[in-house]
Amino acid sequence: MVYFILKRMIQSVFVMLTVAFLAFSLFRFVGDPITQMTGVETSVEDQERLREELGLNDPFVYQFTRFTGDMLKGDFGFSYRTRQPVAEMIASRIPATLELGVVALIISLLVGIPAGVYTALKPRGVLTQTILMTTLVGVSIPTFVIGIMLIFIFGVQLGWLPTFGRGGTVQIGGWESSLFSFDGWRALLLPAITLGVYQLTLTMRLVRAEMMEVMRSDYIRFAMARGVPTASLHYRHALANTMVPVITIIGLQFGGVIAFSIVTESVFQWPGMGLLFLESIRFVDIPVMGVYLVVIAFFFVLVNLVVDLLYVAIDPRLRIRDVS
Amino acid sequence: MKTLKLALLGGALSMSAMGASAETFRWASNTDPQTMDPHAVNSAPVLSFLNNVYEGLVRRGQNMSIEPSLATSWAPLEGENGWRFTLREGVTFQDGAAFTSEDVMFSYQRASNEAADVRSWFAPVSDVRVVDDFTIDFVTTAPNPLFPDSIANFMILDKGWAEANDALLPARDAENFATMNVNGTGPFTLASRDPGVRTTLSPNANWWDEASHNVSEAVFTPIGNSATGLAALLSGEVDFIQPIPLQDIAQVEGRDGFKVLEGEETRVIMFGFGHEHEALLYSSNVQDANPFADPRVRLAAAHALDLASIDRVLFRGKIEAASQLVPAGISGFSEANQDRPSFDPERAKALLAEAGYSDGFSFGLKCPNDRYINDEALCRAAASMFAAVGLNAELSTGPVRDYWPQLRADDFDMYLLGWSPGTFDMEHPIRFLLHSQDNDKKLGSWNFGGYSNARVDELLPQIQQEIDPSARQTLVDEVVAITQEDVAYIPLYTQPLIWAAKDNVELTQRADNFFMLRWVTVN
Repeated sequence: MVYFILKRMIQSVFVMLTVAFLAFSLFRFVGDPITQMTGVETSVEDQERLREELGLNDPFVYQFTRFTGDMLKGDFGFSYRTRQPVAEMIASRIPATLELGVVALIISLLVGIPAGVYTALKPRGVLTQTILMTTLVGVSIPTFVIGIMLIFIFGVQLGWLPTFGRGGTVQIGGWESSLFSFDGWRALLLPAITLGVYQLTLTMRLVRAEMMEVMRSDYIRFAMARGVPTASLHYRHALANTMVPVITIIGLQFGGVIAFSIVTESVFQWPGMGLLFLESIRFVDIPVMGVYLVVIAFFFVLVNLVVDLLYVAIDPRLRIRDVS
Repeated sequence: MKTLKLALLGGALSMSAMGASAETFRWASNTDPQTMDPHAVNSAPVLSFLNNVYEGLVRRGQNMSIEPSLATSWAPLEGENGWRFTLREGVTFQDGAAFTSEDVMFSYQRASNEAADVRSWFAPVSDVRVVDDFTIDFVTTAPNPLFPDSIANFMILDKGWAEANDALLPARDAENFATMNVNGTGPFTLASRDPGVRTTLSPNANWWDEASHNVSEAVFTPIGNSATGLAALLSGEVDFIQPIPLQDIAQVEGRDGFKVLEGEETRVIMFGFGHEHEALLYSSNVQDANPFADPRVRLAAAHALDLASIDRVLFRGKIEAASQLVPAGISGFSEANQDRPSFDPERAKALLAEAGYSDGFSFGLKCPNDRYINDEALCRAAASMFAAVGLNAELSTGPVRDYWPQLRADDFDMYLLGWSPGTFDMEHPIRFLLHSQDNDKKLGSWNFGGYSNARVDELLPQIQQEIDPSARQTLVDEVVAITQEDVAYIPLYTQPLIWAAKDNVELTQRADNFFMLRWVTVN
C-alpha cells in the first residue's frame, strides 16, 4: 500500500513537470507581458530594460528551469501584474473554488442519485421522460448561458439571489468561507447549480444505467423471488452495488469540476482560482498562469490517487491482487 | 429605516451637504486597478482610481480643464525654461503629516526613477529645485508651455510615510507597502483592499477642498464579464457601472430606475499603413511592391469607407466622425482641416487606376478583437467596403495582448489603432504617431508603420516650445494639413463612452474615461 502511494507520488511529480513544460512552451503564444504591464507612453528603451529584468529574453530552456527550480525551492515568484507573491494570491483564492466545487458536487449527488434511481425503477413514467428531457437540455446548453439565465431569472427579475461575488464570508483561520453565513449560501447557490448541472446529469444517467443493469442481474431476481421487501431490495442491495463504479467516475470528474470552474467563476465574478487565471491570461501574467496550471495538475493527481485508494477500499478483489 | 438613520446622521455631521443624505455607493468596472502605487503603472484604470485618493499639483475639472490642486498657482520661470509652482498651505496627508515642497521633490524623484512606469512625463525636466516650503521649480530643457497640463496625473506621496514604510520606489519585483496601502491628500482614503475582488474607500474628513459628494462609503468591484456587470446593475447590487456594451443600452433604458450616460471619449480610431515596408506581406497578387507607399492608394482606401453606414449599423449612431488624430474640443484641434475624405467608391477606383492598380490587390489587415468598442465588427465592415473598390483585405484579428507585439514586429500591411491623447493636446499624437520612429529621442514610439515626413519632424519641437497660442496653432495646422495630404492615417471616428447608473445617482462623465467619486451624489 505504501509502495503504491509512493509510486503515485513520484508519478505526480512527473505529471506536474510535464504540465509546467507544456504550459511554458505555450506562454510565448499568449502574448507579450511587457506591453500589458506598461503604459502607452513608456519608451521602447524602458520596455526593453523591463524585459531584460524579468528574464524574458533568456532562452526558453533557461526560463523553464528557473521556474521549476524556484518552485521546487518553494519560491512561487511574484505576479507581473500586481507584484504580489503568487503563492499568496493563489492560496487566497483556493477556498472559493474548492467550496464552489464541493457544493456543486453535493448538489449533483443529492439530486442526481435519487433521480437516477427513480428513472431506473420507473423507466416508462411520464416524470422519468420529463426528467430525462430536461437534463438533456440542461447538459446541452453551455455553462455560461445557464449561468446568465439563472442570474437574470433569480437575480434580476425575481431579485431573490445576488448576481455576483461571494456575499458574506467568514474567516476561519486563513480560510475565507461562504458556508457559515446565510448571505454566503445565497451567493453560492446559483454558481454551484450552474457548475453542478453537468455533473448532475452525468450522475443521474450513470446511476440509472447501472441500476437498470443491476436490477436485471440474477441475485436481484433471486432476492425478489425470496420476497425481500422492495425498499430493502432497491436501496440496500441494488443501489449499494450501483455505487461502486459511480463513485469512481464522479471522483475522477471532481478534478474536472475544479479545473473547469473557470467559466462559472467568470459568469458570477466568483473570486476563485479560475477567475484569477482568466485575469492573468488577459494580462499575460506568466508566473500566475504557470503556478495555477501546476496547482490544477496537482489537484488532478491528488483526486486520482484518492479515487484509486477508495477503489481499493471498496473492491476486495483489488486488495487480493495487490497482495499477490 | 436604515436609510433614515443614515440620513439623520449625515445631516447632523455635515451642514454643507445641503440636506442630502450620506450614502454607500457601489460601483463596478471591467478592470481592477492592479496596484495602489500611483507611480508604478501608467494605465487608465490605476490612474483613474487613484485620483480619488492622491492628488497632483494640478487637476482636471469636469470639462477636462486644468485647475489648481496641491499647487495654488504656477508661472513660467524667469531667465530660464520651466515652471514655478506655488503650493497650497495647510494641506495634510491622510495620516496627518503636513504637505510641503519636500513631498513634491520626493515624489518627483520617485516618479522619474527607472522603476516608475510614469517617468516619461518627466523627460523634458532637467532639474527640480525646492525654493522654500511652499515653492518648487521644475526646470525644463526647452520652453514647455504644456508642462503643467502634462503632469495632471502626477500624484504626490508623503516623503516621511514612504521612508517609514520602505516604499521609496515603486515595486519592481516584489510588492511593497505602497502597493496595497495609500496615504494621499485626496478626497477619499482606502478602507480595505482585496485585489481583484473588492476595494472600499471612505471619505477623507480632513480634505482641504469642500466636498460636494455625499458618499459615506464607496465600494468598488471589478466585474470582467459585461453581462454579469449589467445584471449587477439591474438587480440593484451596484449603483453605477462603466462601461456597458452598446448592445445593452436598450436593456438599461427600457427599465425604470436606470439611465445610460453617453459621451464622447477622446479616443480616435484610425487605420494605419505599413509606409516603410518594401513589399506587402499578405498579398496573393502583389509581392514585390508596397502599394500603400503611394498616397493615392491610401486616399483610395479612405474614400472606400462608408462611415455613415458603420455608424448606423455597428454603433447605433453613437460615433462622431474624425478628420484628424484628436477630436474637436481638444487643444490643438485644427479647425482649418476639419474635412475628412468622403465616401466615394468611384473616386477610390479612379485613384487606384491612376496608381496602377486598376484591378485592385489583396493585402493583410490586422485588428484587435478586445481593445476598442466593436473593433472586430468594424474591421469586417471595413474589409467588405475595401473589397467593393478592389482592395481585398485578408482580415486577421486577435486579442490585444498578442496584437501590439505583432505591430511592433511590423507584421501587417494595414492595421487598426485607437489613440487617446494623454495630455489632451494635439502634440501628443504628433509625438507618438506622426514623428519618425526615433528610439533615442523617444519619439514616434507608436508610429508602427514608420510614417516619416521631414517637415513634421521639424515642426514637432517648435510646437512643443511655442508659447504663443495662435503661433502654435499655425504650426499644428501645418502638421495636420501635411498628414492629411499624405494620408498618414485614416482617422475614422471618436469612440463613444457609455456608462450606466441608477436614476438616483448623479455623476460626471469626464472625456478621459476617469471616474471621480468627488462628483457623485446619491439622492
